[in-house]
Amino acid sequence: MSYLFDPANWEWLVTGNNFRFILEGFLVNLEIAVIAMAFALAFGLLLALARLTRVRPVAVAAGAWVDVFRNLPLIFLILYLALGLPAPWRNAYEDVVPSFFPEALQSGRVLAALLGLVLYNSAVLAEIMRAGILSLDRGQGEAASALGMTYGQSLRFVILPQGLRRMVPATVSQLITLNKDTTLVSIIAIQEVMRHGRIVTGFNFFGGVQAPVLQVFLFIGALFVLTNFLLSQLSRRLEVRERRLTAGRVTPTVAGVEDQVAAEPVR
Amino acid sequence: MDDYLDLLTGNLPELASGMWVTVRLVAISFGIAMGAGTLVAALRVAPSAWLQRLGGLYVEVFRNLPLLVLLFITFAGLRRAGVPVSPWVAGTASLGVYTSAYVAEVLRSGVFSVSRGQIEASLSLGFTYGATLRRIVLPQAFRTVISPLGSLIIAMIKNSAIIGVSLLALPDLLKSARVIQSRTFETNEAFFWAAVGYLLLTATVTALIRVLESRYAIRR
Amino acid sequence: MKASRWLVVAAVLASLLGVTGCGGDDEEAGSASESAQQAEKFPADTTMGKIQKKGEIPIGVKYDVPPFGFKNPQSGDIEGFDVDIGNAVAEQLGVKPKFIEAISDNRIPFLENGTADLILSTMTINAERDQEIDFSEPYYVARGRILVGPDSDIAGVKDLGGNSVCTALGSTYEETLSKQAPKAERKLVDSYSECLELIQNGAVDAVSTDDVILTGMIIQDDSLKLVGDELTTEPYGAGIKNGDKEFKEFVDGVIGDMKSDGRWQKAYDKWVGQYTKEQQKPPTMTLQEALEIGG
Repeated sequence: MSYLFDPANWEWLVTGNNFRFILEGFLVNLEIAVIAMAFALAFGLLLALARLTRVRPVAVAAGAWVDVFRNLPLIFLILYLALGLPAPWRNAYEDVVPSFFPEALQSGRVLAALLGLVLYNSAVLAEIMRAGILSLDRGQGEAASALGMTYGQSLRFVILPQGLRRMVPATVSQLITLNKDTTLVSIIAIQEVMRHGRIVTGFNFFGGVQAPVLQVFLFIGALFVLTNFLLSQLSRRLEVRERRLTAGRVTPTVAGVEDQVAAEPVR
Repeated sequence: MDDYLDLLTGNLPELASGMWVTVRLVAISFGIAMGAGTLVAALRVAPSAWLQRLGGLYVEVFRNLPLLVLLFITFAGLRRAGVPVSPWVAGTASLGVYTSAYVAEVLRSGVFSVSRGQIEASLSLGFTYGATLRRIVLPQAFRTVISPLGSLIIAMIKNSAIIGVSLLALPDLLKSARVIQSRTFETNEAFFWAAVGYLLLTATVTALIRVLESRYAIRR
Repeated sequence: MKASRWLVVAAVLASLLGVTGCGGDDEEAGSASESAQQAEKFPADTTMGKIQKKGEIPIGVKYDVPPFGFKNPQSGDIEGFDVDIGNAVAEQLGVKPKFIEAISDNRIPFLENGTADLILSTMTINAERDQEIDFSEPYYVARGRILVGPDSDIAGVKDLGGNSVCTALGSTYEETLSKQAPKAERKLVDSYSECLELIQNGAVDAVSTDDVILTGMIIQDDSLKLVGDELTTEPYGAGIKNGDKEFKEFVDGVIGDMKSDGRWQKAYDKWVGQYTKEQQKPPTMTLQEALEIGG
């Protein structure tokens, strides 16, 4: 127990470049999360619409796609893509990536990580969005067509704006999960916070202060807990706002999935 | 097509044993998750505010902590601090504790789904709070939560894949596929069969949950 | 031997330069002679020319294997023996080296798909790998050893018995260990930093890989020790894309120069000799000999 709190074991935090080095790694995780989220939202919306379409083959195909990618481990996707992604894709990525991005994101391997994250999360988000759209009162859709809107118009002006707004808290909640999942990219040798942490524990090589593994990773854990906690507070506030705006008739979250377990009980 | 079948037949023992390791990992972790999760859920609905906050802290920490970080802390961190945890212990404990936070939340919402009237009636009949929880609330709550728990098991199957390819290096399904791939360089074939394995597992659990639901679940 | 080969290459290239230089304007002639002073300009269709056009050469190195390839957390620079060789190659081309991380498992795919033009990541030359890529002449000869913790009574590979031993996925030791210590439980991981972690916290009984990588571990934790005779001889070679003879000759030339003009010795003393307290001269093993080792 004393090992845990012994100040000598925490000295590394204030020595040399360690603190900044770990934070730089953490920043890479956050950046990957944000980029993956953006693309996952876009693709997820497409998938959700594909699932809801009246064209049966498309709906069935999209359904199968979503089911497969929701049930595969994310690390499986990332690893497979890292080992199997063809070179032209990687080169294309390296050409496209802007130079102001940090060095860790310049490597073509990041494409594998991003693709894996997007493929997985878009499937999850597609389900969230579909639930949100379906949770809308039928009357909305009927009223829209009574007003003479086409299916496409009713989607754009009535259904999606309302349905998707309901999904905002669940989406923020999914961002938390995504944030945690970015640590997985360390397994394909992307220089993010986990890798930086391991380098710091080997700091002894440079004649510096010994950085014990337990403390370093407790610190990294604390970074994540703090960031995700703040995000979850945001999500809860949005949820409360949603309830107020829809006069309590709507349950904004999709219960049952690990990431979307309702923070507040369903009454 | 031939390559795929060849890889399967050539490596079936390794893949099968990998799948078995995954099943055992998930089973043990689930046990830990249910145990710890029930305790924490009890804390969360306890009459004492202090206990509630303790439970709340547990849930906040483990829902916001990445599993990989937890694995490092329990395996590498503890070992260095002198506690000789084995990869199996570290792996199942991490996955179990990680999931227990979600289990606690699912159970808590299940508990709340039991109407207050029942709790009040039970207390007025002279049951202690503990007995009420045990005999009235929890049995009903469990039945409500079958579906969410099933989803958590599926989440655990997916999360278990992290354990094999992490520092802990347990030979689970994904790790076995990776080792085979590293030996034969047949990436698509090896990972295809691993995917089949994982989908088989999740489909089985989904089917099981549906059966249980149709028999026991409370429809509202 | 290598010097004369280099001369032939230089003569051929000089004549090519002469041909392309003819008919060019004054500016081009001027810059050609200028860069010839700094670095030989290569024809655009050779790998060297392409690299020069890019302005940089992506080189795959290890990020976590001191003293050969590692990232200094204080400065953020990539440093090490392999890195010094990479710097020499880049300098000879007159371009900047761009170091990327190549773990044991993805370094060959990196060459095949063009992510890296050169691999300098403690890669052992063997016939199996030679089928998928080309190697330079050996630039270092490491020896496979066993690393154990302070309280271990394992004295060599024969003592491994049923103990657990860690090595990296995709490395030559996967197979070596299954042959020389069939009963040992092999823990296969992504990178050697994981092996170091595992032996430091006692989760494995031994680590087996090239003595240089093991030395890097000793540097980080001097309670660990090298035991036993050499399991294997591991000549390191630079990895080059399959079939690229011109680039191989170029790299061989750079390595040969380093061996003869003292740069090799300086790098060795700085990165290895100072820690192992052992002396070594530049290796004289040829690629052919290296391929014949291991049968």
